[in-house]
Amino acid sequence: MASVALKSFVGLRQSSTENHRSSIASLTKPLSSTQIHYRRLNVVAGKSSPKVTGRNLRVAVIGGGPAGGAAAETLAKGGVETILIERKMDNAKPCGGAIPLCMVGEFDLPLDIIDRRVTKMKMISPSNVAVDIGRTLKPHEYIGMVRREILDAYLRDRASAAGATIINGLFVKMDKPTEKYKPYVIHYNSYDGKAGSAGKKVSIEVDAVIGADGANSRVAKSIDAGDYEYAIAFQERIKIPADKMQYYEDLAEMYVGDDVSPDFYGWVFPKCDHVAVGTGTVTHKPDIKKFQLATRLRARDKILGGKIIRVEAHPIPEHPRPRRLAERVALVGDAAGYVTKCSGEGIYFAAKSGRMCAESIVEGSENGKRMVEEADLRKYLEKWDKTYWPTYKVLDVLQKVFYRSNPAREAFVEMCADEYVQKMTFDSYLYKKVAPGNPLEDLKLAVNTIGSLVRANALRKEMAKI
Amino acid sequence: MSSMALYSSTPHFPSLSPYSKTHLPIHSFLSLNPKRDLLFVSVRAIENGSGFAIVENEKKDSEPEEDPLGNGGPTAASLEDAAVKFEDPKWVSGTWDLKQFQNGGATDWDAVIDAEVKRRKWLEINPESSNNDFPVVFDTSIIPWWAWMKRFHLPEAELLNGRAAMIGFFMAYFVDSLTGVGLVDQTGNFLCKTLLFVAVSGVLLIRKNEDLDNLKKLVEETTYYDKQWQATWQEQKKE
Repeated sequence: MASVALKSFVGLRQSSTENHRSSIASLTKPLSSTQIHYRRLNVVAGKSSPKVTGRNLRVAVIGGGPAGGAAAETLAKGGVETILIERKMDNAKPCGGAIPLCMVGEFDLPLDIIDRRVTKMKMISPSNVAVDIGRTLKPHEYIGMVRREILDAYLRDRASAAGATIINGLFVKMDKPTEKYKPYVIHYNSYDGKAGSAGKKVSIEVDAVIGADGANSRVAKSIDAGDYEYAIAFQERIKIPADKMQYYEDLAEMYVGDDVSPDFYGWVFPKCDHVAVGTGTVTHKPDIKKFQLATRLRARDKILGGKIIRVEAHPIPEHPRPRRLAERVALVGDAAGYVTKCSGEGIYFAAKSGRMCAESIVEGSENGKRMVEEADLRKYLEKWDKTYWPTYKVLDVLQKVFYRSNPAREAFVEMCADEYVQKMTFDSYLYKKVAPGNPLEDLKLAVNTIGSLVRANALRKEMAKI
Repeated sequence: MSSMALYSSTPHFPSLSPYSKTHLPIHSFLSLNPKRDLLFVSVRAIENGSGFAIVENEKKDSEPEEDPLGNGGPTAASLEDAAVKFEDPKWVSGTWDLKQFQNGGATDWDAVIDAEVKRRKWLEINPESSNNDFPVVFDTSIIPWWAWMKRFHLPEAELLNGRAAMIGFFMAYFVDSLTGVGLVDQTGNFLCKTLLFVAVSGVLLIRKNEDLDNLKKLVEETTYYDKQWQATWQEQKKE
């Protein structure tokens, strides 16, 4: 019995990497014998929950970014009555805007929302040793740079087309149910498209809530999800002359050094017609402006003559919140804290977690026919942790080893010159799979890494003597 | 860019020099300058191999000094750092020109290491813009492994071996006096061999008192992230 239940779990995971539409479709196929089989064997999960009569399951998705949009679309396609509440429809979010290649395929993104395809990266060490990475990329591989307002709007529109109701409003609070299957009451201010107004107070009843409202999540506060450590990312958008922009046509830069950030990196990312120059830190937040000046200094020759057109900053979570799930409320995306260390990547993981959570709700409710329970939502957490834990852990180790001091950063940049490293890095970034790689090469890599670290630290000890 | 002037008002002086601790009001440009000149002067002096220690310059505290080689360091008036870049005759096209480090037919690797140390120190104090026309391509792996060994590993190895030998001798004596088991018989005993192993690894890992704390912190650090991820499951177990 246990083995069959396990097989169904694996089956779901496999089908999620294919077109998820087919997996939802297969759930609705009226193969009564297999359905009964399924129900009988999975007595533990929400199959004991009551059927929802007269209507479909109602789920509110709070927040309309990539996480909310992906969740709403999957829910709507799965037959669940979905309401998405977003406070600012044209929000141009401060964000690096980089999406991995696999996101384009997995989320069927049209190629015209990608402003630029970055195929080269330059890593610059504290002593300005510059290493170019990207030689190992195949012609069809790239990192997509998007404008968040365009991507977010696209995903929301797709959710709307699938049947979700998109509401322009600000989530205020949530009343938790007093009995087991009673609904949650969501209170929000509906703006109804009128800018600047305080909004009309509206309350709705829903059966489950997905909190996709970002780093300062109110849903998280209402379920006492706890706090996380966060980094401040500070970014200036700079419009540079056309000849300088040519250099950044398909190239992004990463600057490392104590001057730029004590625990993160400074970046120059090309956007549609300007570059974003920024930096971030967890431990030295009051000094962020100093780090930004240092980043601009390091990139000075390449952005000379540029005009700052926008300054923005935002918190970035460093690790998941202590509680990501409470009863029938689940957190996804930045609200849950799914931002990787080392690279600070969040868009893909937000969208993917939104989709996974929605899938678990659709499955647990049998396409909106049954009430969901906490156990159904826990399946999303299980699946998420199992699939992406290796990625997060590897990036955490990389950050701990290579961002801790200037010698470590020098070693990091030296290691990036190695082709095997480049190949492994890009493979794992673009496809979000921690590939095992060649053991002999791994051994060589380990030896070279240790060598680089030892050399850099030896030089640092000498520097301290001067 | 005007932001560069702003930058020069917030110097990033690391633990290097004693007199950087005489704190300079960050917002006042002029009082900053004499000190900044001195720092340039002193680091230039180092870079040119004249071996001036920072300590020497302390007495020239309040007046801008002329650069000993007469290169014309930045005057009190010029705040722009455009002129002050790392320069060295042996630094050619973004890397060290090994031909200039020849010493009796063979490359003087120690001098290369010293030169790189000075360069990194300079850049740590005065970060420079990275430039595409003058890319830096130096890789520390061009210095052969035995040069690193000879300079860094061997002295420390000597120190640690000395310590291990001293501990070993006194432990052997101590065990002999307590149990009457002589040195040759001790090497055959499993317990003694275990203690020997513990002593050797202890000497390697714990060199100062701080190392104990460092090791504890390291263990905690490696598992911290895991704990943060598992947090949401911990409370489920409690329920």
